[in-house]
Formats: sequence, structure tokens, C-alpha cells
Amino acid sequence: MKDRRLRVGENMVTKRSIALLLGISGLTLIGVLASDDDASGLGPALPVEHAECTFFGPNHDNIVKAASRGFVGGQPASPMAQNSTATMLTEAVVAALPPVPPGTRTGSLIDPATTNTIDRYIFQAMATANVSAAPPTTDYEFIRRVTLDLTGRIPTASQVTSFVADTAPDKRSKYIEGLLASSQWVDKWTNYFGDFFQNNSRNTQIVRFPDGVVGFNSYIRNSLTSGKPYDQIAREMITAAGSNSYTQGELNYLVGGVVTGGPVQDIWDQQMANIATTFLGLSNLNCLECHNGRGHLDSLNLWGAQTTRMQAWGMASFLSHTPSPGRTPVTQGNNNIYYWSVTDNLRAADYFLNTLTGNRPARQPVGKVTNVAPTYMFGGQSPAPGSNYRAALAQDITADFQFARAAVNYMWAQFFGLGIVDPPDQFDPARLDPSNPPEIPWPADPSQPWPLQPSNPQLLNALAQDFVNSKFDLKALMREIANSKTYQLSSRYNGTWDPSWESLFARKMVRRLWSEEIHDAITQSSGIVPTYNMGAVYGSVSWAMQLPEPLSTPDGANGAINNFLNAFLRGNRDDQIRHQDGSISQALDLLNDNFVMNRVQLAKAPRSGLLATAAAMPNDQAVNALFLNVLSRYPTNAEMSAAMGHLGNTATRNQELENLMWSLYNKVDFIFNY
Amino acid sequence: MSQQEKFNKFVERYPHPHVTFFNRPHFTRRRFFEVVGAGVVGSYLVGKVSGADDVSTQPGAATQNKAKNCIFILLAGAPSHVDTFDLKVLNGVTPSNFTPTMVNGINWPMGLLPKIGGALGDICLVRSMHAWALVHSLAQTWSQIGRNPAAALGNIAPNIGSVVAIEKNVAGQVFPPFLALNSPTAVGNGYFPAQYAPFKIIPSTAGIPNTGNPLGAQRLDDLWSRIHELDDPLRTASPYGQPLQDYDAFYNSAKSLIDYSKNKVNQAFGYSPTDSARYGNTSFGNACLIAKQVLAADQGTRFIQITLGGWDMHQDIYGQQNPRGNNLYTMGKPLDDGVSALLSDLKSSGLLDQTLVVMVGEFGRTVGPVTAAGGRDHYLQQTAVFAGAGVHGGRAIGSTTSNGSDTVDFGWSRQRYVKPEDIEATIYSAMGIDWTTIRKDDPFHRGFEYVPFSEQDIYGPINELWG
Repeated sequence: MKDRRLRVGENMVTKRSIALLLGISGLTLIGVLASDDDASGLGPALPVEHAECTFFGPNHDNIVKAASRGFVGGQPASPMAQNSTATMLTEAVVAALPPVPPGTRTGSLIDPATTNTIDRYIFQAMATANVSAAPPTTDYEFIRRVTLDLTGRIPTASQVTSFVADTAPDKRSKYIEGLLASSQWVDKWTNYFGDFFQNNSRNTQIVRFPDGVVGFNSYIRNSLTSGKPYDQIAREMITAAGSNSYTQGELNYLVGGVVTGGPVQDIWDQQMANIATTFLGLSNLNCLECHNGRGHLDSLNLWGAQTTRMQAWGMASFLSHTPSPGRTPVTQGNNNIYYWSVTDNLRAADYFLNTLTGNRPARQPVGKVTNVAPTYMFGGQSPAPGSNYRAALAQDITADFQFARAAVNYMWAQFFGLGIVDPPDQFDPARLDPSNPPEIPWPADPSQPWPLQPSNPQLLNALAQDFVNSKFDLKALMREIANSKTYQLSSRYNGTWDPSWESLFARKMVRRLWSEEIHDAITQSSGIVPTYNMGAVYGSVSWAMQLPEPLSTPDGANGAINNFLNAFLRGNRDDQIRHQDGSISQALDLLNDNFVMNRVQLAKAPRSGLLATAAAMPNDQAVNALFLNVLSRYPTNAEMSAAMGHLGNTATRNQELENLMWSLYNKVDFIFNY
Repeated sequence: MSQQEKFNKFVERYPHPHVTFFNRPHFTRRRFFEVVGAGVVGSYLVGKVSGADDVSTQPGAATQNKAKNCIFILLAGAPSHVDTFDLKVLNGVTPSNFTPTMVNGINWPMGLLPKIGGALGDICLVRSMHAWALVHSLAQTWSQIGRNPAAALGNIAPNIGSVVAIEKNVAGQVFPPFLALNSPTAVGNGYFPAQYAPFKIIPSTAGIPNTGNPLGAQRLDDLWSRIHELDDPLRTASPYGQPLQDYDAFYNSAKSLIDYSKNKVNQAFGYSPTDSARYGNTSFGNACLIAKQVLAADQGTRFIQITLGGWDMHQDIYGQQNPRGNNLYTMGKPLDDGVSALLSDLKSSGLLDQTLVVMVGEFGRTVGPVTAAGGRDHYLQQTAVFAGAGVHGGRAIGSTTSNGSDTVDFGWSRQRYVKPEDIEATIYSAMGIDWTTIRKDDPFHRGFEYVPFSEQDIYGPINELWG
């Protein structure tokens, strides 16, 4: 077990690597607090830690998750990981679902490989592996799943019944079109990209203030509403220049790369690391900006292991004509509230190797090189001196096929729970091309070469090509995914399931709903819609999915909704990522929180809303109404007879109706998307 | 060859970890969006717990077995050791209002930490500790799991508190075995089942929200049976997949809390202004207060982690610049108030003898004159603080050079730097847990060692604490 060959690239922190972390002797790491601005009402700045190469930290739980999958690096890990948590969770949720009544309409699996690009490659891979696909989703499963995935809402009861009754052969694709065209689609994906681009008013390094968040949020919302191509969004955010982050929302993306307590090179490094992660799926660039890949990434990333810090500087150099973003006070004399500006100085010197302090190891001349000119790593292009470097970078990136690959892969991971390359920010450019597989021994098993990274490399490339051909149309990408038979497979499975098949996507894995989706599902199904007034800048919203950032929502009558949303781990777009973990607090909230309790008592809403409407119906219709609105399905015979039994006593009938509604919010299949 | 040299050679031959795990994901702090749809880390699932057949231990490991409970205080950001627990007075540098005072041979900054200074009789300082790494997140995680987070099983390693929980948990207890106060980013339960996850709470005067229902306990019981009526038949009769046992570990724990009664829960988890004032009227103080109350309630909580962050003083560590930021005075006072009140209350209620209190940062800070920014930077040399559970207080184990730059006397039998792995072994030993245990129930069938390299006896408890 203690194979010497496996020592290469071990992450033991030796004295040498400590020296690298410290840099040349005399390095001082300076940490600075975020500015104090009580006047904004956001409270005093918390003590913060300076930015640094963080190998492990708040994301540790995600590493645990990835490590316990049914496969590793695109290769089945069976029998290593017999107990993949994704599989275990899916089986647990599915075990709580009612059996499918005979005669229920489902999707079709006729000629699966002919539907679209996705199905051609996925079903081919399944056939090669001799693995059967899960059955197709029933109409009930499909409508709930796709409505949640595309719009963050559950379908209404009438949407469910009319969809199920519809006999048109193309009803699924028509329904998908309706979702893509809806305003709720904009809400959800504005929220998603807000997470992705880390739009928040305050993080551990910088403050954007509510106006900045709203500006950034509006930019994202408007881009999605107008159907702006994704490459244009990328270009606009990379090249953004202007004087006011409140009014020019796209400035806020690069502002997010500002780090304090160090030289401007630290900012360029962080901005480039963010760009590489967001648009190329290459978070390892962040490591390479501190040190060469060799000795650190040798067993993690073949490309990274062969890449040097100098090359990483060559990328960061594209930002080197962009001085540190400036701050302008909103009110003269009060430096505590400000907006940001981002400008270029085309005559500035290229990335200077002249730092001894700051957040990263020292940067000193290498041989005769004192300044590093920009060179795009994956093509070797360099912009002409005096030209706009960021424009060149944006062009290089969006023209790079990896841009399309990363984008479709992130989207795939969002819809399927697992990237074709996973984790999706861990791309290894040296292992993507099926026609040119690596030949270097794999440290994990030196008898073999490094495996290809994507679980289905042909699919990834084909999907990326489709995205390019569509001119980077996000809706086209989602349309392609949602219409595929692969996406429409059930999470139920006939026969014994092997966790190593997760990477074949032979079955749909479940996911727990976001905080915002749970909140909005309770709101919509109960018919009791709150209003959250968050002041002049944030305005007021009724749906949690419309919140411009995860923030405290003063809730007036309904109690501490902020705690409810946080209990489901929506994160803070900074050092606490969105999680799907469960907790005792979540159970306590669904059982007892006023947000739920105010919607399951007739006394609280005697005349309108689901409960009041159901109470006026005969018992069996009432039960159907509750199930259809909350769970998007009819009760089974057993569920109906249990419910009818309780409703039979007129003295306690209304109370039992309340109990039923209340218990539906606490069922497994309410908070999971299956 | 000295013991330290032998240890260094061992570590070179067997880098920690000793086996690479292929394609370990490498996450940066900046990946903050949720990308993956599924794959919740076992948190909704109750997994199988190893039986006696599924563990192995080494013969001859004799535990101290003195503590029923443990309180682990993580000083996140890494406090300067030469200004606190290993005071080194440097003329023109150390502020005179630190009032260095000799207490039983311990040089203590009485001006900075007067109340803890008064409690030194209960405290044993371990001054011969070295961290492994100078990166905050890496070292903080290392401290909480007692092994290299980049290790093969470091990926899925549970928090020390989760190991204590799995060993000490008794079915039917009301409170979760592992409580984490002011620790939202604390390491979780790794591959262990859900009920050993840290129960993460931010102290609030009202206690834990929603432990009672506005409609009353009877109505809640009705609801509980309705839920099970709907769900249970489905699970046992499911034709799809394997129906697992109860997935709702959290619901069961929630019900325990609810049944215990909202008032009693919030007596332990809430607090009065008077009590809060005694602990310094800070969030940290409130966490210490709740820790004491929860242990006093004796309802199943055995390990409590408290995080006090803000020690990363790269600039103006003595608070002399303008405007002042975080400095030793702003951090020292909450620490002093909270820890001293905690020790005092534990002692007067008889709990201190059965509670091991451990206080440690993720590394130390540079020594000698401060930097140009007026602060101290990351440094491997550090001190760990122990009290309770029969630990022999009023002294220090190990000692450092005149300026605190390195250890000169290791002070314990292994004659080398104390490491986070040894702290881990110490906690287990104190609580009667065999630190040489290897569990066979990890998902990769490699064997999960409570303390790494236990078969080679590389790390172990600091028995001198009780000597």
C-alpha cells in the first residue's frame, strides 16, 4: 500500500513547500479588514482573513461528497465505492414515492438515440456498458421536475391535471417552451448566475453595497430577459470599463476579484483565477498563480502538473493594464459608502515581477524577465502592445472551445447533479480529447495511463459544439437538455442499481430543493403570498427566488423568514456555499416555523388560499386538492383511505384537514426533486 | 539520532497520507455556487454503524478515561503565542500594560488576560507544539480532523467531535452528541452517519428556534403520527431500490428536542442578560455559557466545539494605529471573560473534573519585533491549552527559546514536536476512547484510523498532562 511511486505530488507540506508558501524570506502577509460602514446598516465589518491559496476550508464538505461517489475521474470505482451517497439518497427518496398506477402516461423511450445529441451518445454508452436505462418518467414526475429545474417553482394543480390529460404527442416539448418563456425562468437563472458570479453586497474582501448588488442583479436579469448570448455576457464582464458599479452592473464581476492587503498583482491574479474558473472551468489556475504545478498537482491534474507559474502570470498579465478598481464616495466627505470604477491604462507596464509582500509568494524576475507579457495559454496568442488586453482576453476565451465545454458542463451538472467532467471547475485540458488520449502513467495506477477525464468525451464535445452553433444561446442549451430522453429518465430503477453507473446517467439522481424553491413552493401551493419589504434599494418581493442576494428579509407578520431560508443552506455567495445537507433545524422549521404554521391553519386564512378552498369541498376532492397542489400528484389508494378515515369525524374534520396539509409539507417528496 | 529526527525521517518516508487517492478534487475558496444537484453527504441518511467486528485496535493502548465531555475551542486565525500563552517580553515591543507576571513559573500577560491568569492553577500549557502548514483553511481543517486534509481518507474524515459522538452516543438521548457553537464552517461528520454531524447553532438569547409548535405538543404528536402513517407503508413496500431504514434522522432528533419541551431546551440553549454579562456579553461568551448549560443539562451532548475567529493579526497587533482594527486587546477581552467564566462555572458545578477543555489555534505567529505593518505573520511554533478532566494545572509542558522561535524542550515522552494528531489522541484518551482504533466501515474499505499511523505508534496522547 505504501508505494513509493505514489509519493509524487503528495500534498504533504514539506519544509520546501512551506518555503514556497512563504515565498522568499522576508515575506510579510498583510491582512486588512473590510471597511467599516455602519451607515449602510450592514453592521460593523467582521474580522476577516486575508485571501490565500485555500486548499481546504469551507468547501471541505464538498470534497467529502465528491470523494464518496460511485466513480472517480470518469472511471467506475466499483467495488471501491459501494455506497455512493448520491445513489443511497436517490434510493431513499424513491423508496418513499408511491408506486406508479397502471395506465399512467409516461415519456417514450422508442428510438432513444434519435432524439438529439445527448441521447445519441448517452444511450450508445449505456449499450456499450450493457446497462439498462431507468424507465421513462411519468407525466407527473416530468412536469414537477422540469418546472422546478427550469423555473424554481412547482407546477400548479391545474397545470398538472391539464398536462396529464393532454394527448398531444409533443406536449412535453411545448410545455418546456412555455417554461423557457416565463418570467419565473428569468427569476431562477438570475439567481443561479448571481451565485455563479458571486453577486453579494459584502464578502470577506470587498463591499459592493446594496446598490451595487442591485446593479449587478439587474445586469444579469436584463441579459437573460433579452436572450443575450452567453459569450457576449462573458465578453461584457471581462472587458467592462466604467465609473459607476451601481449603474453599470457588469463592472461588479471584476470588482469581485479585488483582494486587500497586497500589491495590485494580487488583484490581477484573483481576477484571472475567477475568470478561468467561471469561463474555462479551470480553478487550478488559482494554484498556479502561487507556484508551479509540479510538486503540487502531479496526481490531480495532468495539465496543471506541467504548467508553470510563469505561464499563469502570462494569463494574469491580460489584466495588467487594468489598475486596481477605484472607489468614489457617494457623498463627498463620507468615504464609508462608495461605488467602484474599473478603467484601463493601455500604456502601463506589463505584469511586473517585483513583489515581496502580499497574499501570494514573492514575484521576482526570472532570468532576464522582469515583466511578463500576456500570452493566452491555450493558443499562444499575445495582444499587440498598446492594444486593449482585456478585449484580447475576452476574444481568446470566447473563441476557445474550452469556453463552450465549460459552459455546457456547468449546465449539465446543474441539471443532472454530476458534471460530464466533475467537479466542473476541475477541468484537465490534457485529458479531454478522445482522439489524443494521454500516454503518461497515472499516479493512482501506474500500470495505466491517465484516463480521459470526461465520463463521455464525445458527448461533451458534441454538446459544446451545439452550443457554439446556437451562438451560445442559453435557452437553446436548456431546451436540448430538457427535451432529451436522458433528462426525462425516472429516478426509479427496475432491477439492481450499481453506483458506478451514475456516470452513465442511466437514471436521474435526486436533488434537494434550494431554500428559495422550498419557500416558494410553500407560498404557491398554499396560496398565501407574503410581501417582503427590504427598503428603497432592494425594494420588495414576494418570491424568495427574486431576492437579489441571500440576505436578511424583514418579514413583518410571518416571523423570521431569514432563519428559514438559511436553515436550508442557501449560502452567502462567498465562504459558505449553497449546500443540500440536511439538519435538525430544517426539520424543526418544517414542523413548527410560523411560515408553515400560518399556512396550515384555517384560523389564519379562513377565506382564501388552498386550505380554505379545500375545506369547502367534499372530503375526497379536498384530499386530491391538497396532494395536487403540494406534491403535484394524486394520492394513492392507501393515502386516500388513510386520509378519508381521519376526515370522517365531522367534529375534528377541519383539524384533520390541517394535519394532512401540514404533513404533506413534511414528506420526503416535498423537499426533493426526483 | 534524536526522536524529532527519527520522526522527520518517518514523515519523509511516509508522507502524510501514505497513499494517494486518485483524482482528489481540489477546491478553492472561490467556488461558491452550488453546481452539483445531488450527492448530499449522507446527511439525510442513517448509515450502518460498525459493530465490534468491524474495528481493530492495538494492544496496550491505555486510555486516561477521565472525561465524560470535551469542549474544543478553536482560535481561528491563529493567535500570537508570544503575546499570550507563551509570553516573551521584548523591550520596546511588548506593551507595558501587558503587565507580565510570574505565576508558578509561568510568565503571563496579566494586563491582557487577567481572569485567565487567575485560573492558571487549572490550566496546563503545552508549549512544544508545531503546526504542519501555514495556510488557514488547511491548518484549521487539520486541527479539526487530526490528520492531513489532503490525505486519502482526509477527504472523508469526520470532525474529532463526530468520532467522539459515534463512540459516546447513547440511543434515546435528547440533545445531539456533537454541538458546534459559532462554528458555521466547522468540519462535518465526513463519512459517518447523519446523527454524528455537528449541530450548528449561533447563540441566541431565545435558544433554538422552533422547538415548540404554536398549536401545542398534543397537536404535534398527532401530526407526527400522520406523517409516519403516510410515509412508512410506502417505504417498506417500495418496489424501487432498497428501502433504507428511517431516512429522517434529523426528524427524530428534532422530535426529541420538541418532546423534551421548548422550555427545557431553551433553558440550556438560551440565556439571560445577567448570565451573558458574567461571560463578557459577547457572542463568544454566550457560546461558552451555552456550552456549560448544555453539559449541565446532561442530555447527551458530549463534544462541544466553539470557534473564536479574528486572531489573524498581520497588522497593528497591539492596537496602536489609527483607526484601530482587530488587535490583541479587542480579541483578548472576550477570550478572557468567556474562558474564565466557563472554567469557573464548570468548576463550581463539579463538571470540570469530567470535562476536558482544549483551546488551540491553527498555528502560531512570528516572534521578535513586529513587522512593518505592526503585526505578526504565520508561524509554525504554537501553544495548546488544556484544562479539566483531571489535567494537572498550574504548569507548562515543554518550553521554547528566549524569543519563542522554536522548541528547546519537548517536555513529553515522545521527545518531538506535539502535532494536531497528538492533540486528537489526547482527546480520545481522556474520554476513554482507544485512539488506536481502526474502523472498517469506511466507503473505500481502506480502514479509517482514529489517529493516523496508530499501527506504528507514531502519534499518541500527551499523558504528561495528567502526570
